[in-house]
Amino acid sequence: MQTESARMSSAAEARFRVQAPNSLPRAIAAIALDATGRAVIERLAGAGWQHVTFFTALSPDALRDLSGDTRSLHEEVSATDLVVFVAGPGGHAHAAPMIGELCSERRIMTTALLVGATSSTEPEVSRTLAQLRPWSLMVVIANSDDYIADMMTALRA
Amino acid sequence: MLRKEQSDLLTQTGPGTPMGRMFRSYWLPALLAEELPENDCPPVRVKLLSERLIAFRDTNGRYGLMDEFCAHRGVSLWFGRNEECGLRCAYHGWKYDATGQCVDVPSEPEASGFAKKIRLRSYPLIERGGVLWTYMGLTEPQPPLPEWEFISVPRPQTFTSKRLQDSNWLQAMEGGIDSSHVSWLHRGDLNSDPLFKGARGNQYNLSDARPVFEVVESPGGLYIGARRNAENGQYYWRITQWVMPSFTMIAPRGNHSVHGHFWIPIDDEACWAWSYDYHPQRALTDAEVAAMRDGKGIHVRYVPGTFRPAANKDNDYLIDRGAQKAGRTFSGVHGIAMQDASLQESMGPIVDRTKENLVSTDNGIIMARHRLLRAVKALADKDVVPPGVDPAHQKVRSAAIVLPAEVPFADGARDALVARPDVAPASV
Repeated sequence: MQTESARMSSAAEARFRVQAPNSLPRAIAAIALDATGRAVIERLAGAGWQHVTFFTALSPDALRDLSGDTRSLHEEVSATDLVVFVAGPGGHAHAAPMIGELCSERRIMTTALLVGATSSTEPEVSRTLAQLRPWSLMVVIANSDDYIADMMTALRA
Repeated sequence: MLRKEQSDLLTQTGPGTPMGRMFRSYWLPALLAEELPENDCPPVRVKLLSERLIAFRDTNGRYGLMDEFCAHRGVSLWFGRNEECGLRCAYHGWKYDATGQCVDVPSEPEASGFAKKIRLRSYPLIERGGVLWTYMGLTEPQPPLPEWEFISVPRPQTFTSKRLQDSNWLQAMEGGIDSSHVSWLHRGDLNSDPLFKGARGNQYNLSDARPVFEVVESPGGLYIGARRNAENGQYYWRITQWVMPSFTMIAPRGNHSVHGHFWIPIDDEACWAWSYDYHPQRALTDAEVAAMRDGKGIHVRYVPGTFRPAANKDNDYLIDRGAQKAGRTFSGVHGIAMQDASLQESMGPIVDRTKENLVSTDNGIIMARHRLLRAVKALADKDVVPPGVDPAHQKVRSAAIVLPAEVPFADGARDALVARPDVAPASV
């Protein structure tokens, strides 16, 4: 007689898996920290995402949305489940500590995406990493910015 | 989450599929050399990429890998007689050489030339480092021969095993680059497994159970770095290599051997998990090899006479609820390999990725899928040779290394991530 493990891992049994949704949508804030990041999120934003809001870091306590309106950093970050930093090499991600500290206080997950690393120098990458690492629970160094769309899809954005 | 059409694209590897074409761009491990131990030994059934094949070693030591079934009446050549430089069908005596060419049809006059018109699909089969490799692509020229370091070192320095896994190759491979599961599923094995214990780096693992991950694109695939705090504000990095489509190398520990895997599709619902252990600079000790044969480290014990793990779904993986409750194992399953395989098989033959909820620490998996999809498309649309075919992409090492905090690990460990003969691996 088949064991339960053998029977239950068959393709036939997969038909009986519960089809009800198993998660609620997560709110994601994609925040460009520099000019490279801003160009990436502006391209990305047109893809019709349901659960992502796109911002550019503006000042220690403010973000700018894609329509150009200023938003409270505190309010916007507090309303999210995940913050995705987007930056290029060169060390211009000066807003990372402010946003990161807020996320840390609120226990909000952070991911940093560093794009364009292949066309830059090691010191430039180092400078940006030094700004991002203390505040990022995951860092991705991608050769091209088309990765972020796949990442957002994978995260059900 | 992955859309169904994307998941189908990556998980289907039979003839005529895009991912199947990509797998057919590489030299793939097909058999252990010990499965064909001598000339004229019994043939072995092989299924790879959803193709039923037969492997044999002829009178002159030439390896053959070809369609399993006789062109006459469809009989399996596994029953065939391996004799006088060919495999002869047991039914009516049709005989094939190692290239699949029929060389004798006893019922037809030799002068008729009928045999020359019969040829079974065959693939090259070569030996490297105790493994028989095949190239199942139909395009010439063949890719360069495989140059992975574990098959390039002298034989006493390397050990390879394989085991059957009842799941699609992708969910098995994704387990190999999912570094965040190690602190949970495999906790306890670091200090007890003879192939892991005693390394200084283990202390970093045990004192910092929440590593931070960084994923960096490499020429052949990905570097996946797990970062933990070390002395003097430095970071201890464990860097895993993933090379397309399905090679991984796990970061080493101390002077233990380096290990990793290939996941090779048998069909869309099963795969071979190849597991290698080698040391770039020294022979493996008798005790190490004995431990590997005994299923320690990333290897398994077998059902005798097979490559099926002794702990398998037909015996509920010999789950030990007492050990689970007492904390000796996290899942109740013993051994690193079967801890992984049991959970990956429980997902079903092909996991439904439309229902998954990935999180940030899954970026290694997300990036691997992204790179695979990109490579499959580039191959299909523009005949671009996929990453991992180039031998330079294969000469890689994983690393365990302490670096200053501000250094990008791919730069700080650049030399350590390349295989160089006679250079010690970077290991803590």
